[in-house]
Amino acid sequence: MSRLHIADTGLFVAMGQPSNSRYQAVRRFARRNDIIFVLPERVYEELTIDDPDVEEVPIDTGIGEGWATVAAPLEFSEPIVSRTMDGVQRYIANADDRPADEVERADAALAAIAAQRLSTGTATEVYVYTTDIAASEGAETVLGSEGSGDSVTFVNRFRFIEDLVASRS
Amino acid sequence: MSRTSNRADGDIVQDFLSVADLLEDPQLAQLYAYLAREEEATVQNVMDDLELAQGTAYNYVNRLVDAGVVDVTDDGQPRRYAARPIDLTVTTAAGDREYTITPALIDAVGRRETDADIDTYIDRHGVAGLATALTYAVARERGEVTHRLMAEDLDISPLAAEMVLQALRPVVHEHYDIEEAGAGLDELDIDDGDAADDA
Repeated sequence: MSRLHIADTGLFVAMGQPSNSRYQAVRRFARRNDIIFVLPERVYEELTIDDPDVEEVPIDTGIGEGWATVAAPLEFSEPIVSRTMDGVQRYIANADDRPADEVERADAALAAIAAQRLSTGTATEVYVYTTDIAASEGAETVLGSEGSGDSVTFVNRFRFIEDLVASRS
Repeated sequence: MSRTSNRADGDIVQDFLSVADLLEDPQLAQLYAYLAREEEATVQNVMDDLELAQGTAYNYVNRLVDAGVVDVTDDGQPRRYAARPIDLTVTTAAGDREYTITPALIDAVGRRETDADIDTYIDRHGVAGLATALTYAVARERGEVTHRLMAEDLDISPLAAEMVLQALRPVVHEHYDIEEAGAGLDELDIDDGDAADDA
């Protein structure tokens, strides 16, 4: 059985710098369980943006250390990928009464990677770590309607990290 | 207009000025939020919990009492103080928009003292910008928007949006009753049993 762990921007923001106990707890968890967090390309772009107003997120350190990696580009020609993208974008738009084309595709990419990997059988179980409840609920709804709902777990990254840090103290 | 209603109008303006003072001074805001959270406290409690010197603690508490946002609840020794609820709604002249200043915003401003991300955000976008960010933070915890929608609306980077949303999250959960969604570690079905062994 192969598990896929997909991480959104919020997970890495919450971890902070390598000197931080939250960063170390997540890295330890990943290493101990042979987990490699997979980032959609757009998430990697968000994390590495040059913004003087925010502290740099050490994502390249995580990639260098081998417990994070950037996902291959999505196969938009696969119907399940485009269906999932559209469905999640519509869901998020509805949650806030907006037109669907305003919704960033990165929100939907998390679910689309899950759908793609489950449909090709390269993953049988998917965990998604995100801080955006609207994105996770949208993905749950759409993947559920594709029959993959039971294979996907949304991880509340706040509770996840708090639990990890607490288990060490 | 009668004299009494004029006086009541003056009270509202006074409330407004007091709240404006709180939003301008993060240390006052932090103390107000502390008293609101604790329900009741002595100056000694304030000194211990906020690590303030005695003179500073008395000075701040007295300023809040003078401003009318904190009451003396017990005049015995030691005196006890409590925050008065703040709920001030500001409406634009056209009446098309309004904003309610709540203890949550005052709490958020007060955290500037201890949270570098909130501090940076106020430097860049002002207290008004933080008020907007707080609205998004509440909506995000309720599953209505994502950090990317906020970034797009406010023309900031998604990373900056995520940082301030995370910094404001404790404020949201302190002041709003929103249930946590998603799984924690124990629901992951990953055997992380070595956790205690390799400390």
